[in-house]
Amino acid sequence: MGAQSRTHLLHRLGLRARVTAAFAVGAFALSAVLAGITYFTARQSFLNERQTAVQRQAFVNASLVQDSLRSSGVQVNQLLESVDTLPGSRSVLRWQGQWYATSISVGLNAIPAEERALVLGGKPASQRFSLNGSIELVVGVPLPAVHADYFEVFSLQELAGTLRALAFALGAAALVTTVAGAAVGRWASGRALRPLVGITDAAVAIAGGQLDTRVEAGQDADLLKLASAFNRMAANLQARIEREARFTSDVSHELRSPLTTLSASVGVLEGHRDELDPRAQRALSLLDGDLQRFKRMVDDLLEISRFDAGSAELSLDEVDPGELVRQAVMATSPIGEDGRRIEPVYPVEVAPGVDGLRLRVDKRRFERIMANLVDNASLYAGGVTRVVVDRDPPGTAQGANSILVIVEDHGPGVPLADRADLFERFYRGTRSGQRASGDGTGLGLSLVAEHVNLHGGSVRIEDAASGGARFVVELPLTDGGGSGSGDGSGGGGGSGSGDAQGVLR
Amino acid sequence: MSRILVVEDDERIRLSMRLALEDEGYTVDDVASGEDAVAHFADDPSELVLIDLMLPGMDGFETCRALRKQSTVPVIMVTARSDTHDVVAGLEAGADDYVTKPFVAKELAARIRALLRRSRPTETGASVLTFGDVEIEPDAGVVRRGGEEVHCTRTEFRLLCELAVNTGKVLSREQLLERVWGYDYFGDGRLVDVHVRRLRIKVEPDPGNPQFILTVRGMGYKLAV
Repeated sequence: MGAQSRTHLLHRLGLRARVTAAFAVGAFALSAVLAGITYFTARQSFLNERQTAVQRQAFVNASLVQDSLRSSGVQVNQLLESVDTLPGSRSVLRWQGQWYATSISVGLNAIPAEERALVLGGKPASQRFSLNGSIELVVGVPLPAVHADYFEVFSLQELAGTLRALAFALGAAALVTTVAGAAVGRWASGRALRPLVGITDAAVAIAGGQLDTRVEAGQDADLLKLASAFNRMAANLQARIEREARFTSDVSHELRSPLTTLSASVGVLEGHRDELDPRAQRALSLLDGDLQRFKRMVDDLLEISRFDAGSAELSLDEVDPGELVRQAVMATSPIGEDGRRIEPVYPVEVAPGVDGLRLRVDKRRFERIMANLVDNASLYAGGVTRVVVDRDPPGTAQGANSILVIVEDHGPGVPLADRADLFERFYRGTRSGQRASGDGTGLGLSLVAEHVNLHGGSVRIEDAASGGARFVVELPLTDGGGSGSGDGSGGGGGSGSGDAQGVLR
Repeated sequence: MSRILVVEDDERIRLSMRLALEDEGYTVDDVASGEDAVAHFADDPSELVLIDLMLPGMDGFETCRALRKQSTVPVIMVTARSDTHDVVAGLEAGADDYVTKPFVAKELAARIRALLRRSRPTETGASVLTFGDVEIEPDAGVVRRGGEEVHCTRTEFRLLCELAVNTGKVLSREQLLERVWGYDYFGDGRLVDVHVRRLRIKVEPDPGNPQFILTVRGMGYKLAV
């Protein structure tokens, strides 16, 4: 469990962080070991050196003390004072059962019992011990000839200071090495991962629809393999997607020739409708109705194949949103007896805050969006109740981000669970039992979503206050409300038709 | 009645178009290839030509260019693709308008009527319009540049007249589409763009850097003097 969570943590960290951490840990371990060895070697060598010096001095002094004690009438304290000791060392002497010392702080009690026992037993000895928090070295020399024992206590405090400084320096060096190791790790992993960044960018571009993206192979033999495998994969993917899109496109184009003949011929028949008997007229109406539907389906399929191939292009115009919606709604209504469009029965309400805003939009695509939404309402929801044009956020001052085009219908609304699926191709869902005559193609709403997405907008379904469904199309305003001058570059691919159009878009 | 030449390689489409157009009251000649179309037109000029873009041998673009060399006859391209490339290439080859297969016979008839109407003299009220070294006689349908006649198609001529009559005023693409082509709000703005480009080549001293027919960003076009 613990190991597993550690593994998870490591994976969460990312390769680069892991390599950096590994370098840091390695550098730390190495520098710590080296510092440790250095420290202990130096310490041992210092101590040995000091101990040897102190012992030599102690033996010299001991023999001096012994000689002095042989001659009678000696002042022991003066004798001890006169002994030439190393700086920081003090002498202690036991003679005739009495203890003498040069320092008040260092006396009989200062010498460890073990040392005392050894020396009093007749053996010279030396020992390190701690006295009042400082490290001391004691050297004891028995002087059997005069029945005395000579001790010299040497403070190692100065040496301890030196060792502390050494330890600090080594610690600092280890720290610096660790940081340097981490830095090297980060640099090296960054360098090693750099080609991956290129491949990541390429993958993102391909996922975004730029199927012709490839990576540079470079010179590195290891990377060459990866790059060529990646490029091969991208090429296969591209070929496959293009083949599928081309197939749909070819099919719809091939269907256009017979459809043209059919359409022209049915048109001729329509012109001679009066000469047909009622049964033939009914048959002609059926033929005409389904021919229209067939044509729409072919158009929709072609449109979809363009989206799938990523070749759908925006041809942007800058327009007044209210006028655009009114015109689009008008274009969806049937042509009356007088050859003019019949005014729709539902209102088109333009919120006051929309006045003066300019929307950059592909008019043809917008017309298709409205036509499909209106078709959807009349096929499945008893028709449109109203169309609203508003801005988001609402208001009349500057700062609108987008234009909302809302189509409300007479239907029962759309259950929450179906709302996203409704924009899928050929999705009929719970409405499948409600096929009206002159049914849609099953592609209408999915095309609405595609057209809206191409504009960088979104479409969603809400509940209308009247109880029906409310389709909300949100189209972004590109330059904060539009002052009448576009930036000259559209939100989508260019149609490449040259100067005039390029500037207008 | 007006004579229309249909250039279409698919026999069934050709026949159905002939039936539909004859019902609309036109006299229809039909040919199956671009080569035949050029030969037929030289012998017996029609008042309007419908050219399918996808023809075997000499394709629709070439056929249109070949006809343009000898005539300013109105041309409508019939295309199976509404893709930008084909439409723009067709217009640049000299077509006045285009329809997409499968078209409704009534719509095609409406486009033909609008184009034939355009071919008749325009009523601008002025007898001569001038800008720079360009001189337009609306009634005579003549454009001269530096005294020399410039051959314009009727659509180019109508477009130039619209701009010249409204000198200094910005005309949106919708306005130009409605006035010159008879389209509604959702007409294809590319028609205007390509025709403006063609006009610039004919009347501007430096078409790449126009002085007269100017693009007004986000709004449309205007003729400046």
